Amino acid sequence: MRWKRFLSIVALVSAVGLGIGVCSMAQSNFMVQCPADNDGIDADGDGDPTNDIVCKHLTAGDGFATMADGTVMYTFGFSEVPEDVPPGQVFALRQVKAELPGPTIVLREGQELYLNLTNVGMINRPDLFDTHSVHWHGIPNSGSIFDGLPESAPTVKIGATFPYYYATLGKEGTYFYHCHVEVTEHMQMGMIGQIYVLPRQDQDMVLRSSGNPPYAGFAYNDGDGSTGYHVSKAIQLAGFDSRFHAQHIAIQNLPFAQLKDDYHLMNGRGYPDTINPNLLGASPENNGHFSQRMDARIQARQGERVLLRVHNISTTHLFTVRVLGIPMKVVGIDGKLLRNGSKDLFYETSSLTIGGGQAADLLLDTTGVPPGTYFFYTTNLSELINGQEERGGIMTEIVVCPASGCGT
Amino acid sequence: MRKSRWFGLALGAWAMLEMTTAAWTQAKIIGVEGTSFDLVARQDRITLGDGDSMLMWGFALGEGRMQYPGPTLILRQGDTVTVTLRNSLPREAGNVSIVFPGHEVTASGGVEGVLTREAPPDNTTVVTYTFTATRPGTYVYHSGTRPDLQVEMGLVGVIVVRPANPTPTPDCSPVPQGHNEAPPRSLCAGTKFAYDHPDTAYDREFLILMTDMDPRVHRLVEFGRIREIDTTNFFQTVWFANGRNFPDTIANAQVPWLPTQPYNALFLMHPGERLLVRMATLGRDPHPLHFHGNHVRVIAKDGVLLSSGLGAGSDLSYERYTVAVNPCETVDAIYTWTGALMGWDIYGHAPGDPLAPYEFIGDHGANFPVILPSRDDVKFGQLYSGSPFLGGEGFLPPEHAGLNVGGGFFYMWHSHTEKELTNNNVFPGGLITFLGVVPWNVPLESE
Ligand SMILES: [Cu+2]
Repeated sequence: MRWKRFLSIVALVSAVGLGIGVCSMAQSNFMVQCPADNDGIDADGDGDPTNDIVCKHLTAGDGFATMADGTVMYTFGFSEVPEDVPPGQVFALRQVKAELPGPTIVLREGQELYLNLTNVGMINRPDLFDTHSVHWHGIPNSGSIFDGLPESAPTVKIGATFPYYYATLGKEGTYFYHCHVEVTEHMQMGMIGQIYVLPRQDQDMVLRSSGNPPYAGFAYNDGDGSTGYHVSKAIQLAGFDSRFHAQHIAIQNLPFAQLKDDYHLMNGRGYPDTINPNLLGASPENNGHFSQRMDARIQARQGERVLLRVHNISTTHLFTVRVLGIPMKVVGIDGKLLRNGSKDLFYETSSLTIGGGQAADLLLDTTGVPPGTYFFYTTNLSELINGQEERGGIMTEIVVCPASGCGT
Repeated sequence: MRKSRWFGLALGAWAMLEMTTAAWTQAKIIGVEGTSFDLVARQDRITLGDGDSMLMWGFALGEGRMQYPGPTLILRQGDTVTVTLRNSLPREAGNVSIVFPGHEVTASGGVEGVLTREAPPDNTTVVTYTFTATRPGTYVYHSGTRPDLQVEMGLVGVIVVRPANPTPTPDCSPVPQGHNEAPPRSLCAGTKFAYDHPDTAYDREFLILMTDMDPRVHRLVEFGRIREIDTTNFFQTVWFANGRNFPDTIANAQVPWLPTQPYNALFLMHPGERLLVRMATLGRDPHPLHFHGNHVRVIAKDGVLLSSGLGAGSDLSYERYTVAVNPCETVDAIYTWTGALMGWDIYGHAPGDPLAPYEFIGDHGANFPVILPSRDDVKFGQLYSGSPFLGGEGFLPPEHAGLNVGGGFFYMWHSHTEKELTNNNVFPGGLITFLGVVPWNVPLESE
């Protein structure tokens, strides 16, 4: 029995080897796996049978992020390898730095994701030899080999690459990913990113045109357009404990017991950086490389529906978030449409509590909402801070423009 | 790193202890059934995941030792239940009582307290609590006297009430060879129910009680400085699942080296089985419990089925990948796992091979999608079998503990307030436990 299975595994591996377009390179351990999509099947239903395989090459390493009060913090993080970097030079050039949050991964339901993770090491902590991983938090029916747990799977050493594979059929919704190695430390250090799967229903042009104006897409396969939106924004709530990061770069013992975030972040930034459209984080410590590449601004025209994909990945805090002045409806939680059979479990609210590891899909309807600036923020007032600085932390602005448009 | 080595040592030591017993088979709710229970509040010690020893106050069954948490009381709906309490704690602990949230309790004996009648620390006075278990579900019990101190000190426990009504006709169809939809039907729908409705059928049930600790409180009690305790600046640094910290959470239940922490928190199942997961929190903070492997379907809270009306079943149930359980709250959920829609055959089958039980037909025979890196490029987890396939095995380095006998898929179930994955400043620990999905040829203890 066991022998037979072993044989079949060997056979499979060699068979797979033939089918995959393996880039050859100077160092074999930088192998990036990305098979061609030549099966002739249009798995994501967008009309193109050749675009159903998505390949990503991420690095896991370290860097620095700059908080809204100017404090520079040492981070671990993910970054995406540009296509023009030869795989053999990823490690040597060290040009791919930790980003906060990591690159956002957006997939169409039906697509397959080959996520190649290269551990480029922590150049500012050469004493560390940690492995890294990707854990796609919440994906239904995960296989432990691709779950990123250092306890139940292999995790990749410095200088090597691990291929993660995910199929997305039936898995539309809002998720996120993080490294699961030394997970309290690596998540607190910033190894966090967003991932979401657009539903097949986005290909249904009839349903999309049921919106006025037509919907840009749907949060889920709802069958009736009830989760249709015109504008969407993914927002990651997180936080840093400045003492933990300072101890880390100083090569001191890490204060797990005292861990308590004092910088509260939306997409890696505290207010008012959340509404700054520019790339940020290019401190001298980070060699001028922009580490915070994502804002949290939201802009919609009056009458449009805004989908907020919100999740909390703080290692210490639960957050209650609120939008003042715009009706808010919860249509999904934890990557699932809020519906049981034919029974809608949607609900309207003005605030929502999101614990670590939870996500929510919030639909804001700006119909009849006077043009102006509205705030999306945490009602935990002590978390509206950037360290010692007040009026910061988890807050961003939603600009509702006149129905005629936002101008320039 | 230093921390990882510690983890290896702890797991290794634990594994050696486990070798004398049948590892990976002991996973179920252990409790005491009946209608009358004699509880005694006693002082004793527990062992934390980092090896520290901590003074506790807890409930003991009769003349037994105090245990943390207290005995899980397993009741049958409709039974009238009597719980007697005697207080054997040191005099400075003061009175003790028990409250049973969700039940209408009559108390007699002892002295009048703020919430209920209390037993003074004389080791003699008996307080009697009587209630009828009117509704099935998961409940907690805890001290109702100075709960800010006494819940922290360990006077907590869980109550499970099983439904009394005759269950719908059992449908014990044989294990299907394959299925083509998710989620699957139960192995034997109708055998066991959490509530009086087929929606709540399950094959196996588990319990996870989440608690927290501020060791400073326990040290002050130990040093006789109880008056100096200030519970307003409470600051947890240790977190528990069923009274243990990881890695002890996944050791067997009732091991001799944890005499006052008899319950483990290891979850085990075969693919396609339905797990009833009973969650409860006592202490100060909500704990967002994250389920690796799949979503759970939340069917009840505080012993109340999420239902729009009689006979509607759990029609208000919902799926979650993280369930935040608030202090003193209970949540019941159903979890299942088949590996459906993964895009590759998790058994490593060739297309012509027979299907495994509950195997997802759509992925049958599909190739493993990647080439795994060479053994030198990776670090192997202690719960990795050496093979990506369910029931598989493969190369493991010589120093590997080889804990995953049978080739199961192991999923961490843990608090996603990741700070809580530590034991007093040491990672990993705290509120971590595991679910093992093991192939059908690995037998699991029947309930
Ligand atoms: Cu990491």
